[in-house]
Amino acid sequence: MTPPLEAAARGGARTFVFEGRPVGALPGDTVASALYRAGVRVFSRSFKYHRPRGLYCLTGDCPNCLVTVNGEPGVRACVTAATGVERVVRENGWPSADRDALAAFWYLRRLLPVGFYYKTLVRPAGAWPRVERVVRRVAGIGSAPLDLPRAHREARHHHADVFVAGGGVSGLVAALASAEAGQTVVLADEGIIGEKLPPGPTRERIQGLAARLRGHEQATVLERAAAIGIYEGPLVAVNGEELLHLVHPARIVVATGAVERHAPFPGGDLPGVWLSRGAARLSGAHGLALGRRVVFAGEAGETLDALRASGLDLAVVAEERAEHERKRCDALVLSLGLVPRDNLLRQGAGPAVAGAGDVVVPGCSLDEAEESGRAAALGQSPTPRRVRPGPLRGGFVCLCEDVTVRDLEDAWAEGFRSTELLKRYTTATMGPCQGALCEKHLGAFVRERGEKGAVAALTTARPPARPIRLEDAAAGHAPVEQRTALHTRHLELGAEMEWAGTWKRPRTYGDLLAEYWAVRRDVGMMDVGTLGKFVVAGRDAAEFLERLYPCRIADLEEGRLRYTLLLNEAGYVIDDGTVCPLGDGRWYLTFTTGGAEQAEAWLRDWAEAWGHEVWIADVTHARGAVNATGPRARELLAQLSEDRLTNDAFPYLRHRRVRIAGVHCDAFRLGFTGELGYELHHPRGDGERLWDALLESGADLGLVPHGLEALRVLRLEKGHILVGQDTDFDSTPAKLGMGWAVRMDKGDFVGRQALERLAGLPPRHRLVGLRFEGLEAPPEGAPLTAGERHAGHLTSSRFSPVLGCGIALGWLRCVDGEPPGRVEAGGRVGLVTKTPFYDPAGARLRA
Amino acid sequence: MGFRIGCPNCGERSYTEFWFGGEVPDPRDDDFARAWLRENRAGVQTERWFHAAGCRRWLTLERDTVTNEIQRVLVTRAPAGGT
Repeated sequence: MTPPLEAAARGGARTFVFEGRPVGALPGDTVASALYRAGVRVFSRSFKYHRPRGLYCLTGDCPNCLVTVNGEPGVRACVTAATGVERVVRENGWPSADRDALAAFWYLRRLLPVGFYYKTLVRPAGAWPRVERVVRRVAGIGSAPLDLPRAHREARHHHADVFVAGGGVSGLVAALASAEAGQTVVLADEGIIGEKLPPGPTRERIQGLAARLRGHEQATVLERAAAIGIYEGPLVAVNGEELLHLVHPARIVVATGAVERHAPFPGGDLPGVWLSRGAARLSGAHGLALGRRVVFAGEAGETLDALRASGLDLAVVAEERAEHERKRCDALVLSLGLVPRDNLLRQGAGPAVAGAGDVVVPGCSLDEAEESGRAAALGQSPTPRRVRPGPLRGGFVCLCEDVTVRDLEDAWAEGFRSTELLKRYTTATMGPCQGALCEKHLGAFVRERGEKGAVAALTTARPPARPIRLEDAAAGHAPVEQRTALHTRHLELGAEMEWAGTWKRPRTYGDLLAEYWAVRRDVGMMDVGTLGKFVVAGRDAAEFLERLYPCRIADLEEGRLRYTLLLNEAGYVIDDGTVCPLGDGRWYLTFTTGGAEQAEAWLRDWAEAWGHEVWIADVTHARGAVNATGPRARELLAQLSEDRLTNDAFPYLRHRRVRIAGVHCDAFRLGFTGELGYELHHPRGDGERLWDALLESGADLGLVPHGLEALRVLRLEKGHILVGQDTDFDSTPAKLGMGWAVRMDKGDFVGRQALERLAGLPPRHRLVGLRFEGLEAPPEGAPLTAGERHAGHLTSSRFSPVLGCGIALGWLRCVDGEPPGRVEAGGRVGLVTKTPFYDPAGARLRA
Repeated sequence: MGFRIGCPNCGERSYTEFWFGGEVPDPRDDDFARAWLRENRAGVQTERWFHAAGCRRWLTLERDTVTNEIQRVLVTRAPAGGT
């Protein structure tokens, strides 16, 4: 990251390498001023015609000085300090920006009108695919660095009453007024406040205001941080040096000032034509000469005084006479007034956004700016001053995208008769400067034609208002990681952790096969504390659940539990889990790890809709859970418990309260793995005690803890679905082959009417089990074909150690209600197989 | 433009803290209408919002979908019919 200008000023002279030769930089130099001093006049080649472009605005508003700095393309040389810069290369010229063969495009411009992709290049038929390759290579500027290390940008949230964009007089006054009224304020400026101004009273005033604001405890000042977008919320994204700031204000003040008016005229884009602020900055702050014969055209004012003060000999021409005078010169300085730098205002206009200062009243006095700042603090915007961008005399309207007046006229003739249509068709305003220089000309162009029905309104701007890197757009938080009580135990055992929703869970402890076979042959255990866990109680709890779930609730006695699907009104499966009465009118519900959050909203919504008196408590984080499973699971628990655990006393699909190693557990006999299994739900604080006791006691029994990967194989062998992975948004129980989980012979439940309607229709797709010969199965997601036709795709697939072949679940398209029996995936044959693949009678889990 | 929701439990919060739960359907609607048919009104609409990053309770809002102006916020039960 390049340091701010003032820091650079304190540093000593140094050099950087510019296209193979050393260039010296003095203290205070930007990349642009150092290059200019070294004799560089052409800074870039333009986007389409490869016209030579030189320094123009020097305020970071135009595209002319975009160069590649230290390998990073599209850096604005005029606002980048030379300190810390090592390599600078110009963009878009071939073989070089000085001598660019592609400049010939300018002479071919009649062949390259607006929309030439669809005009010039479409004949002969079939030419486009070949031409496209060339066009793609030539188009665009700079080249994206592909060898940079992976970047991670952090985002930080700020909550404030007021956000102010821009640290000029009006912005600072607005921020101070708000802070002094007791409100919290965040002010962001894209540079260092006051830095760009020449020494003088204005700069002193700004620095005085900034010092007061920085000292105010209610205020946060962000510098070298450009507000790039206003989003819903309101939310303002501010691109800082280290962080992306996400500001959540109640109100927004946009005080981003104004930019000097860009005047399109033939030759107006050539190097040597300057906007006067840029010219003043180059000759004043950097002491560089603009040329031997300099003509100043436009309004006399501060910048003319500054240019004169720097000792420049100028021929001055008033703007209104400029067209008629012919003068030889090697530099032309334009001072044609200001246009608002209003990108943010055009993004986020609304009751919460007020403008202040030059951005609404370009060219206002300092006193006017202060006044409008104070008004903006109260949410008031001044009446905008009408901007007259001046006549279009040919030449380039949009420097970024190389759009000429002629292009606009062509577009108009083709019927694109509003600013928004001109923008889309010509791409004017859509380049790196985002319309800072050209936006107002579109409106003027339309107004000039004065046609009824033509819309001359300002175009809507969209983020980013200033150029950003892709990594800025991707900035975010290191995701919040949910951990179970056993997290450190997993790490101690060498677990490789993986994300499961917002949780971190062990994928494996290192030896996948050992984990798998322990469950099938001896005993394994797994931390399943991430499951969604809820207690529902209250007078209407049973009635509520009966109406919510497609399974029968009324006959569910205490001590029993049931697997159940969760359906929405359309009859589609949105989650699955278990339901178990705890007695005393309390019910214990489990959901999938990923489904827990939405389950809560789902439960509460229906309870309110039906007016049921129920209480819903999310105990996901209060309760831990460990699943002990395998043929020797009972033996394992018996070693640590005095409770009766025999198959008679505690059969399959039952709930018992047991004490294991002194820990009070709600134990549920379930069979997700296909073996005898006990899900032990316990107070979170007892998790480590329970885990340690099981681990120690199980050593003799061959106990191996397993992670998600072993579980994926174990459950797939049983044909158990994972909601979200094996289901689609429109998966009905019938399509999943799980019609048994729905009791159409009970009363009304959510989704029932939809299922009744669907009952008569044969499903068009079905989730089926597939068996592939060989040591592996085709990858998940693999497309399936039957004959020559696409037949479906795989959703889960693994090699099954116990069956010695690949097994999978996948969606198949049905013909006459039935899926094909034999499909291919990448040349491998898969046979549709009834699930479960393993222990189809379920004898093992009932043992 | 975004907006804020005055949550009776938590105070004024950005709408990004909430999950949108859809229009409150006409209580006379059957399941089919509830599942598939939306009025999608341009104007004041009664709708459900779940305060996911706050009190985790449902609110019933009367919101103008054109201006995002919120006319009423209720923590009472939704009208019969649910969402």
